[in-house]
Amino acid sequence: MDLSERGLTAGKLVDMKWKLGVAVCSDECKSLNSPFVAMTLKVADASGKISTHTFELTIPQFQNFSEQMKDMAARMEMI
Amino acid sequence: MAAHCDFSSLELLMKASSKEKVVKVCNDVYVMGSSQSDGLLSSVCESLGTRPNETKKMIESLSSVLKTIIFHGYTEPQEIQSLFPKDFHKNLRDLITKIALDNMNTWKTHSISTQVSLPRLVDFDWRLDTKMASDSISRTSVPTCILQMKVQENQTDVKTTPENHNINVELSKETLDTMLDGLSKIRDQLSSVARR
Repeated sequence: MDLSERGLTAGKLVDMKWKLGVAVCSDECKSLNSPFVAMTLKVADASGKISTHTFELTIPQFQNFSEQMKDMAARMEMI
Repeated sequence: MAAHCDFSSLELLMKASSKEKVVKVCNDVYVMGSSQSDGLLSSVCESLGTRPNETKKMIESLSSVLKTIIFHGYTEPQEIQSLFPKDFHKNLRDLITKIALDNMNTWKTHSISTQVSLPRLVDFDWRLDTKMASDSISRTSVPTCILQMKVQENQTDVKTTPENHNINVELSKETLDTMLDGLSKIRDQLSSVARR
């Protein structure tokens, strides 16, 4: 096991599952056609215990998130 | 839905001193929901200068009409006008029609933001760190990312704002690259959904 992995951490991301959905209609709107992204993240804490977190993002939020992750990866290259 | 509407109670809107007041009332009624909300009742009474008893009935009827219009997503004035009885005050009918059409998109967006949903991501922050040393290794240089996501749970108590909870994760470069792969797949699917 890589020594640099053994350190104090803030939960490691172990899995990311996603779903792209379209809300077709609701009790308030007969015709919605509103896309959304749903994600489930599995996070392992220092003891190895895994917790799952599921949430939704609107499309603008998803695009913002996606842009910033790309940005972060680009900066990581520079270190 | 419009069947529950007592159209005669809508005539209370005529007491408004200006069209802008009617616009405000319609907006408050749609966005703030049912007449059980005390804030809504007092706001509307203030806008119209009317008493709570008579206003309550008007709010219920207006709410019913507006919800029906937004549910069906009418785009033509005639479709909305046909909801009203033939002897209904024509100017008021046309004013309500115009207000509904003007606000259709805003109200629909509001409806989407309050619809049935999983917990929602409301914010996220990130930080890029370099691991330099630890108790088990004296010198290293490993870039790592700390990502904090703020997720808002669904409301459980009607009177309190739902709780936010934080998800803190650390991502190595490899994990981040894998995540980016997943995110780019979502982007591809999104563009093909948008094209349909």
